[in-house]
Amino acid sequence: MAELQYTVASDSENTGEEKSSSAFPESAIGIDIGTSQCSIAVWNGSQIEVLKNTRNQKLMRSYVTFKDETPSAGGVTSNQLLHEREVLSGAAIFNMKRLIGRVDTDPVVSASKSLPFLVQTLGIGVRPLIAALVNNAWRSTTPEEVLAIFLVELRAMAELQLKRPIRNVVLTVPASFSRFQLTRIERACAMAGLHVLRLMPEPTAVALLYAQQQQQIVHENMGSGSEKNALIFNLGAGYCDVAVTATAGGVSQIKAITGAAIGGEDMLQNLMRYLFPDLDRLFSNHSTNDIKSMAVLRIATEDAIRKLCSQTSVQVDVDLGNENNICKVLDRKEFEEVNKQVFEKCESLITECLHDSKVNVEDLSDVILVGGCSYIPKIQNLVKAICKREELYSEMNQLEAAVSGAALEGAVASGISDPFGSLDLLTIQATPLALGIRADGNTFSPIIPKNTTMPARKEQVFTTSHDNQTEALVVVYEGGGKTVEENQLLGFFKIGGIPSAAKGVPEIIVCMDIDAGNVLRVFAWVMMPGNEHPVTPFMEVRMPTVDDGHGWCGEALLRAYGSALDLVTVQKRV
Amino acid sequence: MAILPIDQFSVLKPTRIQTSFFSSSNNTSRWKRQRISTTVIRSCGNQSAAGTEKNHYELLGVSVDSSSQQIKDAYRKLQKIYHPDIVGQKGHEFTLRLNQAYTVLMKEDLRRQYDTSIGEFRIGFQRTGRDVESCSSWNGPLRPHTLFVDETAWCGECAYHASNTFEMDEALGCARVKVQYGDDAEKIEVSVDSCPVNCIHWIDSEDLGLLESLIRPKPKEGFGVFGQGWERPANVFKATETFKKQVAKQAKDYQGNWREPPEEETSAQAAARADANLNLRKERSLSIWNMIKETFG
Repeated sequence: MAELQYTVASDSENTGEEKSSSAFPESAIGIDIGTSQCSIAVWNGSQIEVLKNTRNQKLMRSYVTFKDETPSAGGVTSNQLLHEREVLSGAAIFNMKRLIGRVDTDPVVSASKSLPFLVQTLGIGVRPLIAALVNNAWRSTTPEEVLAIFLVELRAMAELQLKRPIRNVVLTVPASFSRFQLTRIERACAMAGLHVLRLMPEPTAVALLYAQQQQQIVHENMGSGSEKNALIFNLGAGYCDVAVTATAGGVSQIKAITGAAIGGEDMLQNLMRYLFPDLDRLFSNHSTNDIKSMAVLRIATEDAIRKLCSQTSVQVDVDLGNENNICKVLDRKEFEEVNKQVFEKCESLITECLHDSKVNVEDLSDVILVGGCSYIPKIQNLVKAICKREELYSEMNQLEAAVSGAALEGAVASGISDPFGSLDLLTIQATPLALGIRADGNTFSPIIPKNTTMPARKEQVFTTSHDNQTEALVVVYEGGGKTVEENQLLGFFKIGGIPSAAKGVPEIIVCMDIDAGNVLRVFAWVMMPGNEHPVTPFMEVRMPTVDDGHGWCGEALLRAYGSALDLVTVQKRV
Repeated sequence: MAILPIDQFSVLKPTRIQTSFFSSSNNTSRWKRQRISTTVIRSCGNQSAAGTEKNHYELLGVSVDSSSQQIKDAYRKLQKIYHPDIVGQKGHEFTLRLNQAYTVLMKEDLRRQYDTSIGEFRIGFQRTGRDVESCSSWNGPLRPHTLFVDETAWCGECAYHASNTFEMDEALGCARVKVQYGDDAEKIEVSVDSCPVNCIHWIDSEDLGLLESLIRPKPKEGFGVFGQGWERPANVFKATETFKKQVAKQAKDYQGNWREPPEEETSAQAAARADANLNLRKERSLSIWNMIKETFG
């Protein structure tokens, strides 16, 4: 959406017209780009249809292979065996979702260095160099580009099946994605010629599907639709998300939402290091042989984790070359011990989300577990234990829930109505992260707190920190940390023309507005006591404004201006 | 709850401080309103300064004493009509206001604070199990008018014509409304017309709670062996009027005190004073009850 800024006005006008003039608007498609697997679904007029690729698969591996001429999205067309060969060669790039919009000081990026392609980090807060091995040369690319190539093929596949051009999409994203990361996803979509209608946090897509299912039950039984609280836990390869939703009459209201970049990929790497402790030392050169060994170990470990879902122990037998052999019997207990921290993090996310939602465990009607890692017995047990119940909600396909929800939202947001009321739905979203500005030194001063119902608009009053201060910097951050350094910088701007006065006298009002499409605008203006009008024209800035190297901007601003343009919060007068 | 087309809300827009800030081109009035808005936000945490503006209850179409479940239902119903996902960007402003109203009314402390600021008082009937039994429930959406039976004689005519709406209260020996709009309009019409003592009334929904609670017999305080027993007002409508007048007066007095705190007051002093005010209010409520009893006893 950000890169379409110049067409936004006409764009929205068009959508408005389409809604009123066309009796049969076309439904936007739903896409779930997973760290490891991807799927695409659409409302076909009466129900959700998950599209299949030419190999009759609904779930496609998310990776792109770089070859001599053109790169191709592997998962859309090729099979598992081909995938393995390509991964072994170092020509396949995957895990884009873990890399997109992250800088090289991010621990998630550092953890990606054991992937069988090049992830080069210099640790200075810029985007990492990512490259695929093509004809024995490292050819650089970016996560956005890889994602765009993948989306182009997905789009072509869907257009072929639906026999119509596709432009509008609803994508699911992790709840923990910052707004900066969301702009990267939007950019990838724009590169693929797709217009993002909505970016939905994954658990909220699941919540919408749940709302539809509950609505159908009500219709069938002719009963009254009483409110149902549900906890949704989504654990994929790259991210873990939790949400608590209150559902009644087809309206799903997100009470609390949280997430973290933790998932199956972490379990995989932990287990790889457990099986082969010398991993980082031996593979630091990324030679052709190293890559092959890395890939062999990776495939074997992935296989072991999958088998441990159904068996209690598994035989791991890998030859990594260079006389490095692993021959070991791995049991489920070991696997759980190695990944203790991952499971503890999952538990703390659920507890945090329940606490934020103010819903008691006893008041939960259903507990929904979805995502690629939902088959792991330990995960099922820990979710059941925290939510104090024997059974989990079983009316959903764990791997298709998110994409189905996205397809529903695509239909609802495209203005499609269903004669049987199946689309009489609504998700009321909440902000997964707090938004605020830098004030009182390096403190993060939230203006829109976490879990605020969207659309939202809130304002707060600040004042100058020095006498006769005529300018002030508004530096916008997003996140949950108390200091600005712990949060993600979104952008900044300067307000000038503050009349000379003693410190604390001018009022600088900062207002934040998030619309239902999750667009954030920041407004700021200056008021003087005894004056009914603002002394400067108000500023309206659409966020995020930062681009690459944003990690530096905060420090650069501090170096250039020190505390001369600082703001101070005004205590609320009772 | 009336469902208005969205255009009707855009008529309201110019009175909206925030809205005019973002869309109006009239500069002078815009800033004037903006100024009001910010001071109000800081002084009492809500934005209901403009007199013409709908208050949170009116916005959601619920009565002042509605339960949080009723507020929740109304909120969801309105969201489904006006949410930007459904009507597009033009639903943005209205949804913002809905969210604001919902946040305030769903939190007991914020709601109480808000009630004070708009001069509304929820009548604090302690609804016990028995009380709930003898109050009518709703079928369908809230409507401005409701049925109320003011009867003292045994007559089952209405319960016979519209059995889903009226029922005989065995304990009291008279008819009462079980479910508002429990039958279709025709049946209800027949039963209202056929009442031999003309005791079925159409009343304002807002008065319903008060009427239903006042008509219930209350235990009468006795003196020694005399006068003990049960009593209820002879004319429940008159009793309701009196009660409402009292509450309104009380609200006005209370608000007068509340609105003018001395400048130098510390927050601790304010809290103490608010407490004292609350106690006074409680005592007054009691004395009103006693007065009603004396009047109609």
